[in-house]
Amino acid sequence: MTLNNEEINRYSRHLTLPEVGMGGQLKLKEAKILMIGAGGLGSPLGMYLGAVGIGKLGLVDFDVVDHTNLHRQIAHAASDEGRPKVHSLCDTILAGNSNIEVEVHNIRLERENVLELFGQYDIIADGSDNFETRYLINDAAYFTKKPLVSASIFRFQGQITIFDPESGGPCYRCLYSEPPPAALVPS
Amino acid sequence: MLPGVVGLIQATEVIKLILENGVPLKGRLLLYDAMKMNFKEVRVRKDPECALCGKHPTVTELIDYREFCDIQLPGTAVQEEFDEDSFELSPLEFKTALDQDPAAVLVDVREQYEWDICYIDGARLLPTSSFDPATSGLDKETPIYLYCYKGQRSMTALKELWNAGYKNLKNLKGGIDLWAEEVDPDMPQY
Repeated sequence: MTLNNEEINRYSRHLTLPEVGMGGQLKLKEAKILMIGAGGLGSPLGMYLGAVGIGKLGLVDFDVVDHTNLHRQIAHAASDEGRPKVHSLCDTILAGNSNIEVEVHNIRLERENVLELFGQYDIIADGSDNFETRYLINDAAYFTKKPLVSASIFRFQGQITIFDPESGGPCYRCLYSEPPPAALVPS
Repeated sequence: MLPGVVGLIQATEVIKLILENGVPLKGRLLLYDAMKMNFKEVRVRKDPECALCGKHPTVTELIDYREFCDIQLPGTAVQEEFDEDSFELSPLEFKTALDQDPAAVLVDVREQYEWDICYIDGARLLPTSSFDPATSGLDKETPIYLYCYKGQRSMTALKELWNAGYKNLKNLKGGIDLWAEEVDPDMPQY
């Protein structure tokens, strides 16, 4: 794998950083990242991962852009209302960097489709918004041995960590062995 | 703006994993508080008793996550004999019944910040966060019409009232959100 001249020019500020360099930029280009959620977290996550030159980005979300999303889900424009979020985010990412490949999965993540999907990527980034999906993603990442970069937000607080039991670290269940009672989950 | 900050930290960690450079956020939970504008770090250890990655795992394949997450609080289990539908009125039915029932009391069980966005004229605010039939000041003989945002919280309040001996109760199906669509087009939706 190599970079063409446009890419060398585009990523020149990376290439001159010893911590990234040509070797690092090629690692980014070879990387396949699967993002769950194309909303509040997925917008900045996808836009930056696309801009830095991740080779293949997978986007999973079943939802469509709603008027109430626009104030925080910055990848979506007012003209995207009603469109699937994965398509809207994909367009925004490619508008900034058309060198990369974006694969859209306009689906709800289920136990029937999750393992096959995770198998096609190197790292999973969870930006989902409910406990069911978080446990599903955690277990599927464990069974497919993929590192899971997990982020969540609630009101004015955010949490970020990496779950990678394969390298000896904890998983989501080590932190939260059980979901909160349904009545206490904010809707 | 919160998701922007958090999403970019997430992106940074993804890139560090790919580059195999720096100190990854493994075994550390980073907590960000936008109001206090501080970051805290909590160590997260592998749980040897973890049902998934522990020594004696009980989760050995993907499970039914909907069922796993559907844990009921003690005392809130759904009572089979309670027929929710019999208390529900569509927005138009709700309005008609309310207009024809001058003695009726209209109760909004949403929170103050929701009330500040919009409310139905003539309503009293009794937020679910502090709702207690005993101190509600509601009369047991008076017809009580309840609503919230989507109709679920008001149904919970309705059940509490029912269990406390109130019998003349109605619930706005779809809440004030559907009311805005079907009865009052000038009302904002949030």
